[in-house]
Parts: sequence; structure tokens; C-alpha cells
Amino acid sequence: MSESSSKDGFSVSRRAFLKTFGTSAAIAATAQVEAVAAELEKANQEKIVGPDPVPISLHVNGKSIKLQVEPRVTLLEALRNMTPLTGCKEVCDRATCGACSMIVDDKLVYSCSMLAIEAQGKKITTIEGLGQPGKLSKVQEAFIEQDALMCGYCTPGFVMSITALLRENPKPTEAEVRHACSGNLCRCGTYPRILQAALKAAGVEKISKTEVIPYAELA
Amino acid sequence: MKAFEYATALSPDSARDLVGKDGAYLAGGNDLLALMKEYLVDPKRLVNIKSLPGMDKIHPGSKTWTIGALTTVAEIEDHKEIAKTFTGLQQAAAEVGSRQIRNVATVGGNLAQHSRCWYFRHRDVHCLKKGGDMCYARHGESKYHSLFTGNTCISPIPSNLSVAFGALGATVVVLRDGKEVPMSIPDLYQKAWDEPTAHNSLQQGDLILRVEVPVENHRSAYLQISEKSVFDWALVSCAVAANVDGNKLSNVKIFLGAVSNVPYQVQAANDFLEGKTVDDATAAKAADLLLEKAHVQAHNGYKVPLVRALVRRTLAQITA
Amino acid sequence: MPSWPEKPKYISSHHTRIDGPFKVTGAAKYPSDVQPEGWLYGMILRSKWAAAKLTKINLDPALKIPGIKAAVLAPAVDERQKSSSDVTMRYYGEEIAGVAGTSKQVCLDALRAIEVEATELPYVVHEEEAKQDDSPRVWEDTPNLSKPRIRENGEVDKAFSECAAVVEGFYTTPVQIHNPLETHGNTVLWNDDGVTCWASTQGITSVHDGLSQGLHVPRSQVRVISEYMGGGFGSKFGPINEGLIAAYLSKAAKAPVKIFLTRFDENLAVGNRPSSFQKIKLGAKEDGTLHAFEFDNYGTAGIGGGGPTAGGGSGLTLRAPYIYHVPNTRVKQAGVNINAGGARAFRAPSCPPSSFGMESIMDELAVKMNMDPIEFRLKNDTSTPAWQIRQKQYKLGAERFGWKDKYKKPGSSPGIIKTGVGCAGSSWGGRGGGSHAEAEIHPDGSVEVRCGTQDLGTGTKTYMALIAADVFGLKPEQISVRIGDTRFPPSGGSGGSSTSPSVSPAILDTCTKALQALQEKTGVADARGANWKGACKKLGVNPLLTKGEWQDGLSGNDTGGVQFAEVDVDTETGFVKVKKVLVVQDGGLILSRLTCESQLNGGVIMGMGYALYEERVMDKNSGVVLNPNFETYKLTGLGDVPEIEIILFDMPERGVIGIGEPSTIPTAAAIGNAVANALGVRISSLPITPQKVLTALGKDKLA
Repeated sequence: MSESSSKDGFSVSRRAFLKTFGTSAAIAATAQVEAVAAELEKANQEKIVGPDPVPISLHVNGKSIKLQVEPRVTLLEALRNMTPLTGCKEVCDRATCGACSMIVDDKLVYSCSMLAIEAQGKKITTIEGLGQPGKLSKVQEAFIEQDALMCGYCTPGFVMSITALLRENPKPTEAEVRHACSGNLCRCGTYPRILQAALKAAGVEKISKTEVIPYAELA
Repeated sequence: MKAFEYATALSPDSARDLVGKDGAYLAGGNDLLALMKEYLVDPKRLVNIKSLPGMDKIHPGSKTWTIGALTTVAEIEDHKEIAKTFTGLQQAAAEVGSRQIRNVATVGGNLAQHSRCWYFRHRDVHCLKKGGDMCYARHGESKYHSLFTGNTCISPIPSNLSVAFGALGATVVVLRDGKEVPMSIPDLYQKAWDEPTAHNSLQQGDLILRVEVPVENHRSAYLQISEKSVFDWALVSCAVAANVDGNKLSNVKIFLGAVSNVPYQVQAANDFLEGKTVDDATAAKAADLLLEKAHVQAHNGYKVPLVRALVRRTLAQITA
Repeated sequence: MPSWPEKPKYISSHHTRIDGPFKVTGAAKYPSDVQPEGWLYGMILRSKWAAAKLTKINLDPALKIPGIKAAVLAPAVDERQKSSSDVTMRYYGEEIAGVAGTSKQVCLDALRAIEVEATELPYVVHEEEAKQDDSPRVWEDTPNLSKPRIRENGEVDKAFSECAAVVEGFYTTPVQIHNPLETHGNTVLWNDDGVTCWASTQGITSVHDGLSQGLHVPRSQVRVISEYMGGGFGSKFGPINEGLIAAYLSKAAKAPVKIFLTRFDENLAVGNRPSSFQKIKLGAKEDGTLHAFEFDNYGTAGIGGGGPTAGGGSGLTLRAPYIYHVPNTRVKQAGVNINAGGARAFRAPSCPPSSFGMESIMDELAVKMNMDPIEFRLKNDTSTPAWQIRQKQYKLGAERFGWKDKYKKPGSSPGIIKTGVGCAGSSWGGRGGGSHAEAEIHPDGSVEVRCGTQDLGTGTKTYMALIAADVFGLKPEQISVRIGDTRFPPSGGSGGSSTSPSVSPAILDTCTKALQALQEKTGVADARGANWKGACKKLGVNPLLTKGEWQDGLSGNDTGGVQFAEVDVDTETGFVKVKKVLVVQDGGLILSRLTCESQLNGGVIMGMGYALYEERVMDKNSGVVLNPNFETYKLTGLGDVPEIEIILFDMPERGVIGIGEPSTIPTAAAIGNAVANALGVRISSLPITPQKVLTALGKDKLA
């Protein structure tokens, strides 16, 4: 579909415009002004952009970030490659591991599977938005206390998942934590402590079954 | 991904125009973007349909519930009334992917999603489903593949919701060139049964608008078995819906998932269960009828006992 | 001569990880996160043929794409082209070329623009076929199946005739892929000043050497940085091809280039654990002592194993009869090449498959002789390293686990869901050596400890702080710890569970010497604790730098461990649910409780993946890896993890012993034994999937 610019600077789909009003000059002439404006507005919102980079504005951690991205750039790629926000990680790029998890309009999502261009107008929270060293969230503190991390590469994703869970369900059972956070993978094997951290952050204590026995005391 | 144009549609008509001959609708994007990242599909334009008005609502009804195609799978999972009225649907939704996926995945997208066969999904294997000469699964690694197929392709249907909707006798309403076309679940997937290159009966530009679920079945259930406990595709799934009086069933529909290119139903099994009291013997006989045309590949024979187990368990669940 | 503090305050405590706050907030910058000025994105083009002779490679179309700043051939390809020898690709995923550009998107376009033509060659991707005489050869001049090595002890044939009971079995384990969450990769800047490489590595020294040699740059002009890294499990040593390609791209583009593999490529080309096909025959005398053992194994390390590991080898050769004592043995082992990515050392190389085969047949023989599996093990685990420790571990563990009540005749559990228990033992070296460190004490009392080592998530940084704190009488928060830079005193690679026994003695030595130096220089007799600040002030203007190194006597080797597993097997669906794993592990002097326990959890969870889910699947008709993603290469998930109980033996007198690998060794064996105990029938092939369980139960037929 071709585009043509009208005098007032909108990029309006010519075909859409004509389709609405018909090609008859008479019909066009009798259209209500408001209807025309509304249709122009609609056509403008429906305008086709790309494939070249487009200016977008992302609302991340309470701040507005302006970027130029091709439509095919994912939200994860935009933040990791074009801003200093490298906290959320790219691990699989296929919605299978959760390391890229972000909260978008209060919903936990895989940012690798969301286009940056469609994330506009949404409230995006990355791991950097939850806390900083020295000013940690409850979930982040629980992670450190329970040693729910090792190499740390899955950690931002898990912290996001548990944060999102606790916002929706402040007192989850262990089964609910498992179900809600099953979209995050860890290769180092921190799961038992992640469970502990989640329950601790929810105010539930889970006993860890580890004991150290001095060898000398054994029979 | 290859480069593409992008637009947001504000009405179904605009969406159809914008998607044209070589565009694709972008709803949740889980399947579409994954396909594009492997260069399996090549739309020149993505049309964001998430702003189409009214398509994301769930409307309860005394005779029929209407679920908008843009309803997310998470919304179905969390919906307390759906859990009561259409238990099997809620159970199927809860098993779709992970929470992150369910939060953006839409009902329409789940129904329309493409095969997960590892040959189809592989960027460097030109299999039958992609227009090649050979179904690689038939001659290779077939442990995840179908027991029933209407054509040479043995890639199984991955949509959990299609199996549950099938058992519930739902109607999927598709907008095709400006006209609403109602399709039963079997209709929606008939083309996948007939043609190896098809994933469903949708044509370019078709837009799933809503699913209409009749309130006729008293009880329903959906179960699946996977290799992992959570966040794993079903090896086999089963959904059943029926009116239950004591242990006696009427108005029964039983559907299998992940064993055929379509949500798989055998009318003889439904007919057999009609009026029967459920026990292990009737469940076993129903499973036999479902399995009658099964054809086992090199590595998927184990799906046979899985079908039997899930048929028994879903029937047990609705009569519990 | 330094020695471990007798009553440490922080060593062996539950102190939290000191880098925790940086990891949980996203502040920690991994090599895949760094963004040096002007950095470019890089990607690699790989062979889509399992075997092919490349006849044409044209990079020009890539260079024409706006935003692309460089395109180079992979070093191996370049070399062969230059010497006019055949450029033969031998596996799906082998490197051909690299591109660098201003975005991931232009790189993707560039890869697709490169013109490559090839003549396809015959290939083989399955071990059973590759073994055959008429199989296509991976290397033209070498048969795929190596000449077997045979070791004999005693007179095994005669010994079998003397046995009261003999069992035979055939056990197989798959190729397992490391799949750390941070893929392999580096961000490299190569300019006139030399090479700076932010590497995701287990051995900055190995990358240092590899870049210097591979790029012909003087070692003094190469710097490698790896402050954080997202896992390696044995596969990340040396710059490997992707590091060299990034370096060449950087030189050509005159900018830093970041190449981190896609998850897809990670499953093709950067290492794996070899498979095993173990034919075992085991016999015992009437009293249950093992008397004869025959072992015939082959496995694949792809096109060839080893690779640039820190001396670990790829684990193709198994340990047989592993931890058990048998006086008469014949052990025959071979490797078979296939057209697939080469193996690399993977957490306890050779041990998990060795354990699986041996512990499975031990249980089979115990059952045949109507002996309790633990009694049977106590009778025969009597001479290999750490056996006395394991004896105690079996006894204690059996009691805690409730073995006597839980162990029942195989398959006797009633109902559709059958319960079973199993156990297995392990041994691992974990010794240390050759590490250097330095401590810089400042007049204002601040102190920094530096060591050119790595922290893979193992807790290195943390125990360095704990040791320094105990020596100086300070709090760990007061110690600044810096690692992961080749500008710091060199240490070894983090493999073979050697880091803590190498680094911790070096830190102890360094800090002990630093304290002495501080006291000598300032005349303060005891500068620790409350006296610290005052003593440091006396340093005047300049900081005090002290160097130290690893000392003998502070670390040890040979850990012992045993594990018990309890499973439920659904006989209708074949689904295995692991309900509980009990780990009884010896760790010598435990430096840091929390990080040690996490390592043990981690090993068990990885072992569980090996038992139930993980397997690289090759397709014979296309030559590709079918499952190069987390969808079908399945890792243990949060929903699968059982209750893991840990009993840690504390033996400070043995010094520090590495603990990264031991706990992943016996897990799959214990789970396999538990499944067999539950069902009364054994699945002797990993992974134990519903498909295999139902097939073993004879249920995979239509009738």
C-alpha cells in the first residue's frame, strides 16, 4: 500500500482514506469534519512503518528512553544493545528460559519475544528497576540471604518472576511458586534456594535440610 | 528475523487490508516471532491486532460463552468461572507454556500456532510440511510424532486449547474476506488432516474473532503427560466433556491431542460412551475405539499406553 | 608456614555471597554485557552440512550491507584456503566465517548474504552405524572406531567360572551438552595497543595464551578480563574459534567486537560429554565379594575430543570398575568418531557415565544374590580413594534416609504408582596447586586482595573475602576482592574442582604474609581487628603490597560421596518423579557453607537432568542436531526438583578440597537404581523417559 503525505504532515494511507469515503467527490464533500478528523487519526495510528529504523519511545523503570529501531528489533535487544540496561539477559531468544523476563504493564513477559516497537506506551520494568546494591527489594534480599544464586545469569529473570508472582499472590504455596516460576531455567541448580527465597520474601520460612557433621563424631 | 514493515490495525477491515497477500497478524507473537527467527515464514509486514476493539473480552452466557480471540491464555487460566463451567478448558490453559507465555499468548494464536515437529522447526531441514519431498520423522526420530494422520506428514497438533475446545463442542468464528465463518474444531483443522503443508484450515488474511462455547456439558477435564513436570509440550493429551449423572455419561465428546495433525476424535468412541457408566472397563473400551486406526512409528509406540492412561484418568476425573 | 585458623569466624560460616547484591540487581557486568566504546555486534556463519567440501566462499555481499564493518573467514578455513588444501567441514555447525556490524540485525542479514557453495560428502551421525566397517569416515585416513585399549588384571575368564553369581548388562548414556546460560563468547578489542578480551571463561590464563599464540601477539600485550561469567561446566577454556574470529573482526573493523553464540550454535559446536555404550559382566563369590569384571565400552566424542581444556580430557575413556574393588578385570575401551561437534571436559569427565554403568550392574548382582544393595557396596568399596569415608557415609546416610524401611524387593510396591529407592557412590580428585595472589593494604585501612582466578558462581570471591577477614580480624565487607584479570597474579583454570584448593591456600598465604609485613613495617605487634586502622595509619603515604602463593599442606584431594534417591514411577504413563535425594558428601575443610551447599544442590540437579531429560539428538537423514534449543534439549526445571537433603562431613584436617564436581557423579546412577527397584525391571539407557519406561514394561504395542 502506498503512502502519501497530506499538507498537515500526517502520513495517511491513501487507500484507507479513499476507501472510507469512496472515490466520489460528492460523498467526500458531504463528510462531517469530525468524521474526517477521526478517520485521519485512525489512519495515522494505523500507519505503516519500517522496515527502516523508526523512532520509538520506551517507558522503562519510570524513565523515557528514545531509540531508533527497526520493527524487527525485540524489546530485549533494544535494551541490551542500545542502552546500558544489560541486567536482563539473552540466553535462548526463543521464549524457553526466562532470563529475559521483564514486567510489562504489570504482566511478566519474555522480552525476547516482544517487539520493541509494540512495547511503546507500556510501563516496562527491568531488573534494574527493582533495586540497586545498597537498596535492595525484599525479593533481592531474600535471594542473597538464602544463596539463591550461583553464576547469577538466570538470577535477574528469577527475581523478576518472583517479584511478579508476589505482586499477584503475596502468600503463595510452594506448589504455586513452582508453577508460576517454571518459565525460568537455571543450569547451576539454584532451584531449591530460589524456592526458599520466594517463600522467605513472602514471609514463609522453609527449612533447609542441610547439616554439617564433624567427621570425628561419627561412629 | 528478516526486516519487515509494521502497522497497528484498529479495525478488522483495516487489519485485512494491511495484512494483504504477504503480511501476518501479530497477536501475542510467541509463535510468529519464533517462526520468523528461524526463517520458516517470511511476512513482509506484521499487523499488530492487539488494539482491535472488543476481541479481548470473555462474555459469560447461560447458553453460550463467548471468548474473544485476543483473550490471553493467562486470563483463561485465572478465570474462576471458567474453571467451574469449563474445567477442561482452564486445565488446558494452565498447561500452556509458562506464565510468561500465557500472559501474552492469545486464544486465537494458540489455535493457529504452527507445528512443533523438530524437523518442521529446523531451519536447515526441508521437510514435507515445508514443501519438500520427505517426511523426515517417518524415516528418523519419531518419538514425539503422530499415531493418526490423513496424509504423509506425521507432525502432531500442539495446541492444548484446541483439544479442550473440541471436547466442549466449541465453534471458532473466523473473519474471512469480510464475512464471519463459523467453524467447528474439526473444521478448523480439516485442511491439516488432508494436506501435509497445512497446519489448519485458515487462509491468508483469515482472522479468528472469537470462540463460542456452548454450556451443555456438565463436566469436563483435560490432562496431559510430558517428559517434564511443567513447561513442556504434551506427549499425549486428552480432553473429555460430558453430562454426568451418577457415573452415567451423556452428550460425550472425547478428544486426543499430540497424536495426530488434528485434535483427534473418533465418533464411535463418543457413541460407545453415550449412556454408559464409567469404570475401568468402559474406559479401556473407549480407548480401544480411539486407537483403532493408530499406526505406530519407529519410536512412538509408547503413546498407545499414554492414550489409554489419559482416557481412563479424564473419565475418572469427570465422574469423581 | 600459614595454617587454617583454628576457630575461624567467617571461614566455614554461612556468610552470604559478597557479589550477591551485584547479581540480583543486574549491576554485575558479564562479558556479554560489557559495552566498550564503539563496540560492534558479531556473528558466525556455520556449516549447514554434516560433511562437505567447500568450493566457494564469497564474503563480499556481506561487506556491502550498510552497517557491516568487517567480514573474515574462520581461522581454520582461512589457513586451509591459503595453503590450497581442501576446506572440509566435518559437522553441522562448524565455523566458516564471521561478520561484525552496528547491530544484530545487520549481522543476521550479512550471514544470509555470504555465498557459500559446497560439495556434500557422505557422513555418519550415529555411533552404531559409525562403528561399521562400511561407514562413511569422518577423517579420511582413520577408521571411525579407534583401536580398543585393553587392560587386564588377574585372570578374568577363570575368575568368572569361580563365581557363585554372574550378571550381564548393556548400559548406554547419551551425549550431554553443557548449555551454560551465558553462551560461549567474548568481547574483544584488538588494536595497536594489543588485545583486550572480556571472556566468558573458566580460565583467563588459557584465553591469554590462546589469543597470544593464535593471533601472534606478544603475551604482554594481551589482557583478559572475566569478573563474572555465566557458567561453563568444563567447556569454556581458551578463546576457541569464536574468540579468534571476534579478534580478527575487531582488527579489521578497528573496533571492539562482541560475539556470543546463539543458543542454537551453543548446542552444535562448543563441547559435550561423550556418550557411552557399556557392555558389562560382573561376578561375585558366594559371600558377595566381587571376583570378576569384564567391560567393553565405546562412545563418541564427535569429530574428536579433548579440545582446549585445562588438562581434563573429554571423558571419553571411562573409569571401570570405578570405585569398586575387583581382583580380576578386563577393560576394553574405544572411541568412535561421528560427524558432530567435538567433546570437551564436562563436570567430572567420565564419572557420571562410569557411575551409571557400574552402580547399575552392582544393583543387578545384589538383587540376584538377594543381598541388600548397601551391604553389597560396603563389602566391595574397600580400596579406592576415600573408601573409608564412603563406608561411614553409606551407614549414616542409610539411617537418615530410612533405607531399611524403604528398600523393598524390586517391583513389589503395590498400585499403579510404584516407589523405589537406590544409591550410588562417588570419588573425585579435586586437588589444587599453582595459584598466586597479592594483597594491597592502604594507610586508611582499606585492603584489596587480587587473584587472577575465576568465579563461575562457585563462590571464589566470597571465600577469598572470608579468608582475608579471618586473617586480618576484619569483616568480609571490609575486604575488597578483585579477580578475573590477567593483570592480577596468575592462578590456574577453574576446572577439575581445583579452584578452591588452589586459590584458598594462596589467599591464606598472601594474607598471612601481608599481616606479618604490616606488623613488621609499622612495629605494631598485633595489627588485627581493633588495632587494624591504627596500624595501617602508620604506613604513611604508600600502600603495602604483599605477594603470596599456594602452599602445600593446606589442601587435599579425593573426596568421597554417596547419594540416595527415592522415586515414584507411574506405570501407566512411564513418568518418573524423583521425590527425594539425600547427599552425604565429604568436602574436607568447608570454606563457605552456603556456597558449598549450593554446589552440591547444583550437581544433583544436573545429574537429574542427565538421568531423566538430557540427550543430544542427531538426525541421520539430514546430519543436523535436531534439538539445539531448550524446548527439546530439556533441562531440569523448578517443577521437577525434588527435596534435596545434604549431610556435609566436616574434616578441616584434610584441608580444602574442590567440591564442584563430586555431587553430579552418582545422581543418575542412584535414580536409575531407584527406578529399577520400583519397577522390578531396569531401564539401562539414559535418559529415563516415559517412552523408555513404557517400552521396558512391554506396553508400547497396539494390541
